[in-house]
Amino acid sequence: MNVAQKVDTRALRTNRFSKVLSTVGIYAIAALFLLLGILLQSMGLINNFMTSQNLLNIVDAVSLLGIVAVGMAFITYSGHYADLSAPTTIALTGIVSVELLRYGFISAMVGAFVVGLLIGVINGVVIGKFKANPIIWTLAMSYVTMGIIRFIWVNKQIYPDIITDDVRAVMLFDNIYRFRLFNVLSLPLIFMLLLVVAGQFILKRTPFGAQLKITGSAKRTAKFSGINVELMVTLAFVISAFTTTVAGLAITSLSRVGAYYNGAGYDFRAVTAIVIGGMTLAGGRGSIIGVLGGTLVIGLMNNIMTLLGVGTFSQDIIRGAIFIMVVGINAKTLRSMGRDDT
Amino acid sequence: MQRLYGAWDEMIRKKLSDKNSLLSLGDRFRIYILFGVIFLFMSLFAPRFFNTYNLTTILRTVSMNVTIALGFTIVMICGEMDLSIGRTATFAAVIALTLQKHLGYGLSIPIAVLAGALVGLFNGVLVAKVKINSFIVTIGTMTILQGATYTITGGNSVSLSGDTVFAISDFLAKPILPMLPPRVILTILFVIMFHLFVSNSQWGRNFYMVGGNRTTAWLAGINTDRVTITAFVLSSTMAAVGGILFAMESSAATLNMGDNSLMYVVSATIIGGTAMSGGKGGILKSVIAVLSLEMLYTGTILFGFGNEVKIFISGLILALVVLYEAYASYKHEKTIGQRAELLDELAQMAARPKV
Repeated sequence: MNVAQKVDTRALRTNRFSKVLSTVGIYAIAALFLLLGILLQSMGLINNFMTSQNLLNIVDAVSLLGIVAVGMAFITYSGHYADLSAPTTIALTGIVSVELLRYGFISAMVGAFVVGLLIGVINGVVIGKFKANPIIWTLAMSYVTMGIIRFIWVNKQIYPDIITDDVRAVMLFDNIYRFRLFNVLSLPLIFMLLLVVAGQFILKRTPFGAQLKITGSAKRTAKFSGINVELMVTLAFVISAFTTTVAGLAITSLSRVGAYYNGAGYDFRAVTAIVIGGMTLAGGRGSIIGVLGGTLVIGLMNNIMTLLGVGTFSQDIIRGAIFIMVVGINAKTLRSMGRDDT
Repeated sequence: MQRLYGAWDEMIRKKLSDKNSLLSLGDRFRIYILFGVIFLFMSLFAPRFFNTYNLTTILRTVSMNVTIALGFTIVMICGEMDLSIGRTATFAAVIALTLQKHLGYGLSIPIAVLAGALVGLFNGVLVAKVKINSFIVTIGTMTILQGATYTITGGNSVSLSGDTVFAISDFLAKPILPMLPPRVILTILFVIMFHLFVSNSQWGRNFYMVGGNRTTAWLAGINTDRVTITAFVLSSTMAAVGGILFAMESSAATLNMGDNSLMYVVSATIIGGTAMSGGKGGILKSVIAVLSLEMLYTGTILFGFGNEVKIFISGLILALVVLYEAYASYKHEKTIGQRAELLDELAQMAARPKV
């Protein structure tokens, strides 16, 4: 009997399939939504879908979400679900930057990043080193930061132009969101694209990315093969805190007000984008390009539903149903390939 | 120094493994101790804390979250997570009050409870059969329920008026026994029922087994899927009941009434000693933890602090408890497989003069 005939080719097949599923798959769905939009437009149900302005609006609308999701994807990739303290990190960094604007634009930026990264380091050390449950710990952390915000600023909203007379600093701050390169590309969009490229490079082309993958998919194996698991997890949380801070500055610049409610809802929305983008919660699978795809799909979906005149409330129902469906199909596919996702 | 520390560590470990030592008891009953300390402290120092009116108010305020915590604890014992409890409470309350206008409470309450149970069934089937992570499923359900609630009400809160409605809400709120309005008595009945169910029945033990080790439970012949689904159904049903009772008492349902409950109940359950990994915890502990948190909140407000201190304190307590648990298991993991007495022997051998 020929031994070569009995070579198990399943591994090869599943690898190719899961690769297709995790990167191209989400773009196929995005293309489907795009086609749906074109179809609806040709049927006369919606107007102005395939205009460059509308397509730009779609990416603009999700650029902030994309920034948060790219960073949080590192946490998901490392097998630690999500960072539920993202909304309060956004609020705190925003409010700190506005408060520090009186000492100039540079100090505002530095202050925001110091605060944001500090939260990231605390999260990372507690979860990485002491192995606290990530969901519960970041939940507690969000409470603590919210308490700090409420304690120092009570329920005040602070405005950049009231805080300082420095017109230049205020203008610079306002322009974080409003500046447009060549009058087309907004700064958050550029940030998002840069972060996606950098994130994809870090995740797939550096030793850190490879070690994070092993950490995410098999923690014990990673530990026994000499990977500093604690450091990997801490770095993942710090990266997430970094992008969250970028988003926090942009959101605060957009609303021109530092307040405790900035950024509410960004935690769950980011998880949605990450999971739809093919990154599994078990860790170690997926890519940043996929997360970008997930973010774009959310943007397209919202845009089409709004153009169709679906109410905001009904959009929630559809969004939730699609979310569960995508994750369910994903889990089922992985299981049928023998790669159980539980 | 190192050896001294090692000896101290060893002593602590021995004390903890001895079930009857003071330290071990303290660790196991920490929530009751916390409860006692908070109660004593507030009674002694907080102005206007220790009187019938205030204590009745605390019991009334807490009964919604206690009811929600009953089911949620079971889900946690099973090692799963249900993030949709708050929104389920709102959803059920809105259904009950909206239908009350057409059908009366007699029909609207069963329908609302059934709706809650269906939400739980949906969650449970997706978690147990489709095998999606419960965290993700319930985030999805949360979004769907939010949309459904707003669609039903058109974005406004629901309020009722009419003599019969107010008679019912008055009846629920007015104490018939000292300090005990009917709503609180109902909650206490629920607590007793759930406590007996979880700690004294075979079904209750199954929850612990599935949470402790799913594979072992399955090998022992437990239908793990059915147990998980039951846990989710119970959780959503109790969340619905809690929301409905709250709405009945106030004759109104606002669209964010349940939003605070999620964080509240999750914190309380964890502070009460139910582990996120499952297989540990108890109904009574969660109930006591909810009570302790509420007393703490009332106390801070009586001291004249605002809402911000309340948020800060609850975050700090949750953070400390999580940190303590994480640190304890970190220590445990470090010392596991290590034998201190062996190290001691080695040290003695090294110290012995060579023959």
